[in-house]
Parts: sequence; C-alpha cells; structure tokens
Amino acid sequence: MGIELILRLTAVELLLRPMGPWGVRPLILAAAGLALLSPRTLLSSLTWYVLTALLTARIIADWPLPDNHIYLLTYWCLALALSIGATDPARTLATNARLLVGTAFLMAVIWKALLSPDYLDGRFFRVTWLTDARFTDAVQLLGRMSPAQLTDNRQNLAPYPEGAEPLDHNPPPDPAAFRYLVLMSTWGILALETLVAFAFLLPRGARAGPLHHLILLLFCGVTYAIAPVAGFGWLLLTMGVALCRADQRLLRATYVVTWFLVLFYSEIPWANVAVSWLSTRSGA
Amino acid sequence: MPVSSTAGRIAAHWRTAIPTALLLAVAITQVVLARVADLSPWKGGGFGMFATTDGTAFRYVRLFVDAPGRSEELNVTDSLEFDAVRAQLFPSQRFLTRLGEAAGARELRNGREAATVRVEVWKVEFSDQPLRANERRLRSLTIPIDRQPTAK
Repeated sequence: MGIELILRLTAVELLLRPMGPWGVRPLILAAAGLALLSPRTLLSSLTWYVLTALLTARIIADWPLPDNHIYLLTYWCLALALSIGATDPARTLATNARLLVGTAFLMAVIWKALLSPDYLDGRFFRVTWLTDARFTDAVQLLGRMSPAQLTDNRQNLAPYPEGAEPLDHNPPPDPAAFRYLVLMSTWGILALETLVAFAFLLPRGARAGPLHHLILLLFCGVTYAIAPVAGFGWLLLTMGVALCRADQRLLRATYVVTWFLVLFYSEIPWANVAVSWLSTRSGA
Repeated sequence: MPVSSTAGRIAAHWRTAIPTALLLAVAITQVVLARVADLSPWKGGGFGMFATTDGTAFRYVRLFVDAPGRSEELNVTDSLEFDAVRAQLFPSQRFLTRLGEAAGARELRNGREAATVRVEVWKVEFSDQPLRANERRLRSLTIPIDRQPTAK
C-alpha cells in the first residue's frame, strides 16, 4: 500500500499540472495516466525511468524557464525508478525522500541567508507583497493594507532610470501589520526551511521521527496557503508519505489530507473570500 | 559473506546517492551561472526562488532596430515572447543572439529594413530605506541581420 500510494500521488501530480512543449507533454500525460490505470505499469521501474527521461527533456527544451520543483520532480521520478528495483523499496525510497527534501531545503537556505543581497533585510518580501498581484488579497487580509494604500505603494515603486534620484521621495510609512507580516514571512520561512534542512540531513541515515513529519506538514500547510506553487507542495507531501513506516496509517492519512488541502488552496481563492467577507461585515 | 554484504551496501547506496548527487551538481552549477553569467537565481534548479527580487517579474528586454534611415525600439511581440523570457532570465550570448535574429527576421518578413538589432537585458533593483526601484542594464548585444537571398 505504502509505495503504491506514493507512486499514485506522483502520477496524479503529473496529470494535474501538464507541462512541457507539445513533443513531450502528451507523452508525460500518457505515461502518468497509464500508471494510474494499470497497476503493472505503476509498479514498473521502466515507467519511472521513462518519466524521468521525459521530464529531463522538458527541462532541457525550456531551459532556464522551468521552476525548481520540476527539477525536484525529475530527481524524484528517478528515485522512484531506482527504489522499485531495490531489495527494500520502501526503505530506499524513504532515504531518497529524506536526502532530496533535506538537500533542496539546504540550497534554499543557502540562497536566502548567504547568496541573496536582498532577503535578510526584508526587501524581498516587502517588494513581493506590494507588487505581486497574486498576493493582493493576502496583503489586504494579513497586512491590513487598504486597496488605496496598496496602489500608492505600487506607484511609489515604479522604477527610476539608471542612476536617477528623485528630488522628493517620502513614501508613506507602512502599516504596523504590514511591517509585522514582512518580518514574520522573512524570518519565519527562513527558520522553518533551516529546521527542515538540518532535521532531514542530520544525523545521517537516521529514520524520520515525529519532528520531521511535524515541520514538513507545518511548512506545507502554511506556505502553500499563500505561495502559488501547489506542485511543489504536493511533491514535498508525497515525499512525506514515503517517510512514513508501514504501521503509521494515521500519519499517512494526515499527509494525504494536507495534499488535498494544498489542492484546495490552489483552486479556492480563500484570501479573497475572507477579504470580501470582512469588508461586507465592516460595511454592515 | 563480507564481500556480499559490502556489495549489498554499495547496491543500496547508489540507489539513494544518484538522485541527490544530481540535485547537488545542478544546484552548484546554477549558483555558479547566477554569479558569473547573470542567470536569474529563481531559475536553473538551484532552489533560489523566493530568495531575491531578481526574478522574471523584475527583468525585461528591450529591442532596438537600426537600418539606413531607421532607428527605433521594437515591441516584444507574442512570437518573440519565449526567446525574450529566455534571454532575460539567462542573458547569454547564445540566447541574446537568438532573440536578436528572431526580431530581425520578423522585421524583414514584414517588409521593414533591419541592418542590426540591439538586445538589452535590464533588471529592476530595490534599495532599502526608503524602498525605491532603479533600473540597471545587465547586458547588451548588437546582432547584424543577414538578409536571406530571395528564392528565384
């Protein structure tokens, strides 16, 4: 049951987010669909080697456009193919899941804490919350920023030509709730990602314990409520299922429920619904 | 017995080492390309997303065509969009040339003169306190446009 569920979740993810140029996309969809319909195809290493090759072709054809989770999905398909052929598939897959999650998060932490020039001082989230239209509802809801304030801030962030300096540039101060949102998102995400990276990579070879599951579920439950990359969330949760022992049924069910939660996050504009409800309530 | 157990251990380890080794190799390459060749940290498999403003949203390309009696900026049309996004995320000589040639060929196809196309990649940078945006040119390349001999 354990490894089949993992393979099925991966196939469903491939079907939910069709990807790649026309020469690759139908083949990925066909292989994933066939895997779901035929247990023999699902449990065959060959299926997952083929999917690894197709995803690699997709990355090469569109490089550098593919998002990072497409790379992780490719490594994961390779891990599935290699693990199915192992003497203990479940254990091999669990080790692969731990190493892949830990290493991906370690790289994310290295970028944020060491390589990026504008993350630790809060600039990244300040700019992103203000300018990315996908976060408009979340900023209004969590940052207590009115649509007018948001428009003003966006206008103030219109770029100046190289080397130009405005004569009088005194933007209005950000609301306290927005400053708190920037602070919490900057340091909260960095702390959570650091925790995931080190918990998953150290000590080497140890089995996943309650801490691993708790922080991975917490990360996915919180991050993908806002971040518009459901595919990344599904992949991490599928790897979480791979970390469960055969007797941990409740834990596996929790991962599957969270998997659907991420699906609902991506399909239901919950922040917009909340903002509309709050504005109706305050108007009444 | 020791031989088979060692062989077993190797067999178990290579199945778990290969995916992570690939991840690391690609990620290290991405960091190097981002440092030396202006690859956007968001792209390339290094997991630099949501770490910096230097992503697709704050990079753009500008195209300028020159010909006798003509010097003007071109719009990035839908047919150039893929090459433009590629060049803005990784402004390598190859991708800039491909975009410039595609833009030049489009001009010629539409009966307009084009001797050269200059491709510029720009990024928007944000300074802190007060938060302010400034544009900076990352790369620029001028590509001569060859007029293909017309078939007789």
